[in-house]
Amino acid sequence: MINRIVTMKEAAAETIIIEAKGLTKLYRRGAYEIHALDNVSFSIREGEFLSIVGPSGAGKTTLLQLLGCMDTPSSGEMLIDNQSTKGLSDAKLTRLRREHVGFVFQGFGLLPTLTVMENIVLPTLFSRRNAQSTAEELLETVGLSSRRNHRPHELSGGEMQRAAIARALINGPKLLLADEPTGNLDSTNGAAIIKLFQKLNRDGLTVVVVTHNSTLAESTRRVISMRDGKIESDSQPVFNIGSNSNHLSI
Amino acid sequence: MMELAVRNLLRRRTRSIFTLLGVAAAVAILACLAAFGQGYQRGLSQELDNMGMQMMLVPMGCPFDAAARVLKGKTLDVSLPMTALDAARSDKDVQIAAPLLMAALPRPSEGRTDLWVGVDESIRPLKPWWKLTSGSTWFTDDHSVILGAEAASTELRRVGDTLFSPEANRSFRVSGILERSGTSDDSLFFIPMHAAQEMFHQSGRLTAVAIRLRDPEQITGVSTRLQNTPGAQVVTMTEMMGTFLNLVGAVRTLVLAIAIVAITISTLSVFNTMLSAVLERTSELGVMRAVGASRSQIFRLLAIESILMTAVGSAAGLLLAVVAGRMVGRVVKNFVPLPPSESLLAVSGILALQCIALGVGVGLIAGIYPAWQASRLTPAQALRVE
Repeated sequence: MINRIVTMKEAAAETIIIEAKGLTKLYRRGAYEIHALDNVSFSIREGEFLSIVGPSGAGKTTLLQLLGCMDTPSSGEMLIDNQSTKGLSDAKLTRLRREHVGFVFQGFGLLPTLTVMENIVLPTLFSRRNAQSTAEELLETVGLSSRRNHRPHELSGGEMQRAAIARALINGPKLLLADEPTGNLDSTNGAAIIKLFQKLNRDGLTVVVVTHNSTLAESTRRVISMRDGKIESDSQPVFNIGSNSNHLSI
Repeated sequence: MMELAVRNLLRRRTRSIFTLLGVAAAVAILACLAAFGQGYQRGLSQELDNMGMQMMLVPMGCPFDAAARVLKGKTLDVSLPMTALDAARSDKDVQIAAPLLMAALPRPSEGRTDLWVGVDESIRPLKPWWKLTSGSTWFTDDHSVILGAEAASTELRRVGDTLFSPEANRSFRVSGILERSGTSDDSLFFIPMHAAQEMFHQSGRLTAVAIRLRDPEQITGVSTRLQNTPGAQVVTMTEMMGTFLNLVGAVRTLVLAIAIVAITISTLSVFNTMLSAVLERTSELGVMRAVGASRSQIFRLLAIESILMTAVGSAAGLLLAVVAGRMVGRVVKNFVPLPPSESLLAVSGILALQCIALGVGVGLIAGIYPAWQASRLTPAQALRVE
């Protein structure tokens, strides 16, 4: 039985969950064009715990948003579970996002009019499925069972972020994307969030975090460093994808 | 989705309430206007139907003014010759021709003017709402008087009492008192026709002749024949109603223009509220898009908020129309020709539904652009707005 689990984990480790091929994102500001991302290629295996680091304006958040189908690239292609997102309608991208990706934001993004429990089940309102029991389990996992009926303004920063993580997991995503998840937290709460991510990753969830927090970056198994919209270094690249891409080969 | 929309609206309570009040005021104006129109038409038609008369003979001059004054118990400066009554009674198609002589009797010592009406027995079928109080009888002689309920209470008279009029230097015996009917008859003094002509020095003269036909279909023929009566002219109740409804209609058009302005303003106010809500909540909407809300779901959420606000506003406006409308109706009554005795306000189920539908329409129109604006943002664009 144990051997079988190990084999499955190994198989999962070989599965590419996300593949970015020459991703470029341009923003126009009047006559100027800003390259937020410039021909970025890399892959993420299932079960990885990856951090993206770099100075402000390096393109980390833009990359994270493209990975989560929250935006479309100006050029390049992205595959999620071997399915290309190129040319997909907004409705299909929404479904992909809803079913495969969970998001955690620096500012938590909890709706102030909803309680902790209602915030956690919010995604299921859009996917029209009942996830009450999953929500109960998640509340337990993030340690907020006693705060279920509290509104966000009654919670500490750490509690708000834990509620946001539970919300990100309610639809059972394969990939968790977090943008500066510890950015608004003190070191104690930040450490708790890092531990939570590590636990979730141990349970098989692929976690990608954009961070300035060195402790968080060090706790991940792979670190991608970005500068000026390009990948500067990748501590553990998967494989070479294209000859013209800004990609590190092994 | 509905619950989320309600909570979003409650979040900015003051703003939502003021927007809602704007819609309520606009709908109340429109509902009152429509209800007054329907109520006036219904009341007027009912009142004229109740009288069971199809036409009147009135003195020369404006026939509609004359007929309205007679119907509302007001005096005329001009009069008809008695021959008009004979002409009407001798027409084969006339079932009842009831003479009326109306005169004002100033009471300087009391600070008021009483209205006295000379009638005969033929008037009774034309006043089906007349009910004599117990102990009352019809005129027994030329010194009998029948008092309207209000007149009896002002004069502190009961059946059998004597009523002395110092101005006319005449005494009457109260033979009957009418039960309160809510019409102008309540404040009138009814006396036999002959006594009235003598008391007001109008021998052989009348104010009007009310006519009921054997067959209302014959109205054109009778009208043509009686039109030739010297010193008299014919006015039919249908013509009268049409003229008054036209008059009221002109005023309604004016008020309708005001109501349209009010509705336009309230639509713009809802539009502004919704647009502000979208701008304020852009990043929140981005979060919702990020966690799986589709464009159509965001559009629907905003549209529901807009429609909910205007639908509730419309319901409040309707309520306001019913409550405040009755008070306004009492004031308006003084300004419309031949106001009916019953309420001017007639809020029907259809009218209520129309008002709610209007509110929903306003919500939809005002909410479409903000909702579209919110739904067209990508999650990334929305999240960039802090």
